[in-house]
Amino acid sequence: MDSNKKYWKGLEELNKTPEFVEKNKHEFAEPIPIEDVLTGGGLAGATPRRDFLKALGFGVGAVTLAACQKVPVHKSIPYLIKPEEITPGIANYYTSTYEGHAILVKTREGRPIKIEGNPNDLLSKGGVSAQAQASVLDLYDSNRLKSPVRDNTEYGWSQTDNFVKKELTAIKAGGKKIRIVSSTISSPSTLAVIADFIAQYPNTKHVVYDAVSYTGIIQANQNSFGKAVLPHYRFDKADVIVSFGADFLGTWISPAEFIRQYVQNRNNKSLEAKKMSRHIQFETGMSVTGTNADVRMPIKPSEEGIALVNLYNAISGTTLPGSKKLNNSNADKAITIVAKELLAAKGKALVVAGSNDVATQILVNSINSLLGSYGTTIDLDGASRQYAGNDAGLVEVISEMNRGEVDAVFFLNANPVYDYYKSKDVADGLKKVRLKISFATYADETASLCNIIAPNHYYLESWGDDNAIEGYYTIQQPAINPVYDTRQAEQSLLLWSDNPVKEYYTYVRNNWDKNLMAKGGLSGQKGWETLLQTGFVKEAEKPAGTYTFSHDLNAVAQTIIDHSNQIAEGNKMELQLYQSVAMRDGKRANNPWLQELPDPVSKVTWDNFAALAPADMKKWGYVDGDLVTIDANGYSVTLPALSQPGQTQGTVSVAVGYGRTSAGPVGLNVGKNAFPFYSLRNGTFQASAPATLKATGDNSPLAQTQTHHSIEGRNSIIKETTFKEYLKNPASNSGKDEEHKTYSLWDEYDHPAYNWVMAIDLNACTGCGACVVACSAENNVVVVGKAEVMRRREMHWIRIDRYYSFNDNGEGGTTREKEIAKLEDLDNVRVVYQPMLCQHCDHAPCETVCPVLATVHSSEGLNHMAYNRCIGTRYCANNCPYKVRRFNWFNYWNDSRFDNYLQNEHTQLVLNPDVVTRFRGVMEKCSMCIQRIQAGKLKAKIEKRPLKDGDVKVACQQTCPANAIVFGNANDPNSEVSKALKSERTYYVLEELDVKPGIGYQTKVRNISEIEA
Amino acid sequence: MRRISFNLKQYSRSVLLIACLAFLGFSASAQGDAAKGEALFKAKCTACHQIDKQVVGPALGPQMTSETDDKFLVKWIENNQALIAAKDPKAVAIYAQFNQSNMTVFPEITDADATNIIAYARTQWKTDQAAAAKVPVNAAPVETGPGSLVIFALIGVIILAFIIILVLNKVISTLERLLLKNQGLYVEEVEVEKAPVDRYAALKKLAKNKKLVFFVLICGTVAMGSWTWVTLWNTNVHTDYQPVQPIKFPHDLHAGTMKIDCQYCHSGAYKSKNASIPSLNVCMNCHKVVKTESPEIHKIYDALGYDPATTKYDSTKARPMQWVRIHNLPDLAYFNHSQHVKVAGLKCQTCHGPVETMKEVYQYSPLTMKWCIQCHKRTDVNMKGNAYYENMIQVHDLIKRGQKVTAAAMGGIECGKCHY
Repeated sequence: MDSNKKYWKGLEELNKTPEFVEKNKHEFAEPIPIEDVLTGGGLAGATPRRDFLKALGFGVGAVTLAACQKVPVHKSIPYLIKPEEITPGIANYYTSTYEGHAILVKTREGRPIKIEGNPNDLLSKGGVSAQAQASVLDLYDSNRLKSPVRDNTEYGWSQTDNFVKKELTAIKAGGKKIRIVSSTISSPSTLAVIADFIAQYPNTKHVVYDAVSYTGIIQANQNSFGKAVLPHYRFDKADVIVSFGADFLGTWISPAEFIRQYVQNRNNKSLEAKKMSRHIQFETGMSVTGTNADVRMPIKPSEEGIALVNLYNAISGTTLPGSKKLNNSNADKAITIVAKELLAAKGKALVVAGSNDVATQILVNSINSLLGSYGTTIDLDGASRQYAGNDAGLVEVISEMNRGEVDAVFFLNANPVYDYYKSKDVADGLKKVRLKISFATYADETASLCNIIAPNHYYLESWGDDNAIEGYYTIQQPAINPVYDTRQAEQSLLLWSDNPVKEYYTYVRNNWDKNLMAKGGLSGQKGWETLLQTGFVKEAEKPAGTYTFSHDLNAVAQTIIDHSNQIAEGNKMELQLYQSVAMRDGKRANNPWLQELPDPVSKVTWDNFAALAPADMKKWGYVDGDLVTIDANGYSVTLPALSQPGQTQGTVSVAVGYGRTSAGPVGLNVGKNAFPFYSLRNGTFQASAPATLKATGDNSPLAQTQTHHSIEGRNSIIKETTFKEYLKNPASNSGKDEEHKTYSLWDEYDHPAYNWVMAIDLNACTGCGACVVACSAENNVVVVGKAEVMRRREMHWIRIDRYYSFNDNGEGGTTREKEIAKLEDLDNVRVVYQPMLCQHCDHAPCETVCPVLATVHSSEGLNHMAYNRCIGTRYCANNCPYKVRRFNWFNYWNDSRFDNYLQNEHTQLVLNPDVVTRFRGVMEKCSMCIQRIQAGKLKAKIEKRPLKDGDVKVACQQTCPANAIVFGNANDPNSEVSKALKSERTYYVLEELDVKPGIGYQTKVRNISEIEA
Repeated sequence: MRRISFNLKQYSRSVLLIACLAFLGFSASAQGDAAKGEALFKAKCTACHQIDKQVVGPALGPQMTSETDDKFLVKWIENNQALIAAKDPKAVAIYAQFNQSNMTVFPEITDADATNIIAYARTQWKTDQAAAAKVPVNAAPVETGPGSLVIFALIGVIILAFIIILVLNKVISTLERLLLKNQGLYVEEVEVEKAPVDRYAALKKLAKNKKLVFFVLICGTVAMGSWTWVTLWNTNVHTDYQPVQPIKFPHDLHAGTMKIDCQYCHSGAYKSKNASIPSLNVCMNCHKVVKTESPEIHKIYDALGYDPATTKYDSTKARPMQWVRIHNLPDLAYFNHSQHVKVAGLKCQTCHGPVETMKEVYQYSPLTMKWCIQCHKRTDVNMKGNAYYENMIQVHDLIKRGQKVTAAAMGGIECGKCHY
């Protein structure tokens, strides 16, 4: 079976636009001004000889003078009194917690420099999301507040305390309301502090809301089962997963955990056990979850509710009132097939919906109840505490403020002026409040309207704890002294409420001693020390209880249909709001690592955009980057349009989390704020609305990393098969059956001791991008900014290539070239992600063209790059078939033009001291974390033992929540990587070039069933 | 395990000290032997005590003289912690005065020993005071020899005097010549003009000799060329670099005479890539009591904000010690001390030279890449007893082929092993 399946990186390539064809002919993206030099005022000029001699003389003189520089005297400043646990040059690791995940903080000489997963973490087993990886950079952000602020001027802590306490006493006597507004707090100690505060000031209420809300699910569970909780979903126990717009691999609830669960039934191990889950996604915009689905059905937001009603009908065999067929025959057909599959997998099925509508979620509950999911794939007892916001609560507070009933309001990790849909209401309400206090670390949109900003510690400077899911408690300990004159918010609340405990550390300690340590069987000082070592305690897992749904659904169905009709108003477009995988709700907008992380699907950096279906773009004559004004819910923004294959026709998707107006220099005015598009319906925030679009006539190009390189029609980059084919022949489509005689021009290299190789499972990789950020943190990879990304100069050592292909409708992954034209259905595209990094070829084409031998082969199978030897000819990059080499066009770390990307003296503290920073004019690329290989070998030598498999973990492998990357020594037949590479699915990218790459990929397998039409 | 041994150590130390003190008290009451006491004092007590001033513990002279209850002293010396535990008011007061730091307990010191120590402390204190009384209070400071400034000034004056003498001589001779001329006694030397003409002629003749000119030019070019070559090769090579350090730390005394192990101070060399310059608390391990008068040691005290009179640290006065780095390896080269010291078992002197004879440290090795690679090519890998190497097939292959197992043969001269 041959693979003529056509893959394309972008629509330019697919459509062969004249610009693309023209560009593709050239070696360089932008023309090089050789012609200008050779003609015109170049060499043929009037006095070239004299000018040449002048320039030569000046040049030689200047170089000589510049060289006559005294060697600088280097100072060496040791500790005055060295802390016992620190040895300069050796990293210390501290357990801590990030959003409920147990993590390890790597510190060097007292500075946190990297976040690593705690291998025993219950949620993601050592996997770490891109956000957590990037969070370490924010610690050193010089734009954080450096002291308390009162009315925009710096204010001392004691003055702040006096002022706040006097005010609070007066407010307490006055009897008006005090409100604490926060995003979800899952820390038991923080919640206890707030409870103590409320006890001291009884007119206080704690209001919890989330920028991107899950109130719908929580209230639906209250209605259906009397438990107002966010359930703990178990994708690992599901054989059939159906998702209606829930981006659970990208942004929904707990993606790093869900990726691990999801991949467990799809990775190589599972495939070898002849088992693979099936995943069907119904959604509007192309999400990272949708791209990973076996079958993806584009539907409009207005169709989502109706589709669910139809699914219920099909599963229950009844007909709810108001049921109607969709205008979308494909989706209708899919619903009936999906219903059959779900019923067949009863007890191992899971239906999730991303909607925040209570009625929709009640319907989903009833479907899951019919499928017997409660107690198996949904755990309501060991519930998640990651989101507990109540939308109505925030709305209530804002109206209270506007009515002048509130005298004091506190904002803890909350920024409603930015992320509440009626920002002006909040700002107006705040004017009527006597005492406004924000604990923000930046002067954000809300904090800048407050009297007092009492800046909170960063989480790496704080004591604390977390409780992401029932029975799982993680501890947070500081890994560094506070960088600025900040104070932990809990500490401030303790002081202001005259708590007998004055130190928050003592408070946390007491809380654990009294309540939490016993849950893990720990006690006393010894128990505390053990806890700080392990990072968490967990209660014995209780079996999840089964719940049955037994309510009338008629009213629910009616509400859903009404809602759908509202969205599908007239002939308008339908707007869908989503969170981008990198930026999420925008709280980390000032993080350049995240801003430069390409969106997994669109590959856009440094912007949000209006994603439109290619057919719509064509209809209206838009091209990528054309500015369109979107008008919905009485708010409008102007954004560049992007043709997004897979986007449902008649819809437009916009990411929230952009358009911060009061963030640091990195996030300021990047993109446009889409939160005001939200609307309140039945007490919850809704992310879809009817919208109108209008082109402004201007164009603002997007910084995409997608079409930088073309695939030149090669079909040996991506190999894909179906589960059906795989069961017949595990090597199906991997190219194993195509034997060729090979001849080599080069001598073979010896790998006497180690042969470092990698295996990447394309079926496990979800494209989340955590590896990209982890690599940047580990290897001091610079951020270059939007303008440079547009010049194709991003520096990431590892990138995730995204390839589209047409849906072949279950024809076994094969499509004849001539048939492709007929199949151009851009609404139904499939996507394969491929992490691409230096392949460390044994016959590396880069090595043979380097004139100065700056890149050479090692006896351990690595392709070394000696930066100090490189003279910047860039021959190697041109000769690299994988295009993984990156050139330093600037001296990024010492160039004021790149200061904005947090490349300044503060953030230089985050650099990994074991990896050198590269200078202007030097080529760089993935080194397979050679610093880790060397450190691993040295450790083994010092301990006088052979190097074991797993001693060395590279940064991308370590952070991958899906464990898609395996690294190790191919000389050891028992190593994980040797076993992985022995898999029948293994193939090498561009194998026909015979460059003998060191990274084997395993074919993408899709579970496409036969009954699909 | 470590904790237990640490506790044991602490405990045993306090036991020792207390016993020592208790013994002192007892012997004093029994009019003990001061000579025996001196020996004991030097053996057991000087780590923390001196007669005339407070170190870690109180100055024993005044303390033991003012305290007349010998029984208490003896008990204290033998086991102070028992006294504190028994809530003896005096003991508790002392304990509180010294920030509740425990004194070592000395179970091996008998009552007689303790009495001897007390006797010694008292007699020594008496003699010290008597001697001090004889010395006038405003005694002139001890002559420490001329300072360097004085020496320079002297040299300057001498040179100046010499110049003045020369000038005066010149003036005298001119005046004399003038006088003679006026008197008609001076005869102008007429032949003088001819001599230079001859000399230039010879030069001109030489210049016309083409062979000679060619030879000279060749020699000049070769000399200049080789000078340039050598200079360029040695650019940024700083062998013998010996900067002035903020403290005149004599390695010859510490590592040479005193034979202190290098790793006592440079403890990182065994475990880390940095050998590490010791933090000042390492210095204080000894210099709290050793050579406390030296102005160089006072630089340590100043840096730490330590007051030797009160033995208190004031962190507000502390400031970092800025050593001048001698061995400057560029950032682009990764070097790990533990790899060389712990794994390869190299002596520090191999690269750093005879540090134990250096009064001030200088850079001994060139630290060039050539120097690194030469060693990697020549040195056998130290694999004895190291299972890492012993189980390595590569090593066995090399031995089988009769090749040397050098660092280079193991891939130790590949670019990426040091440049990343």
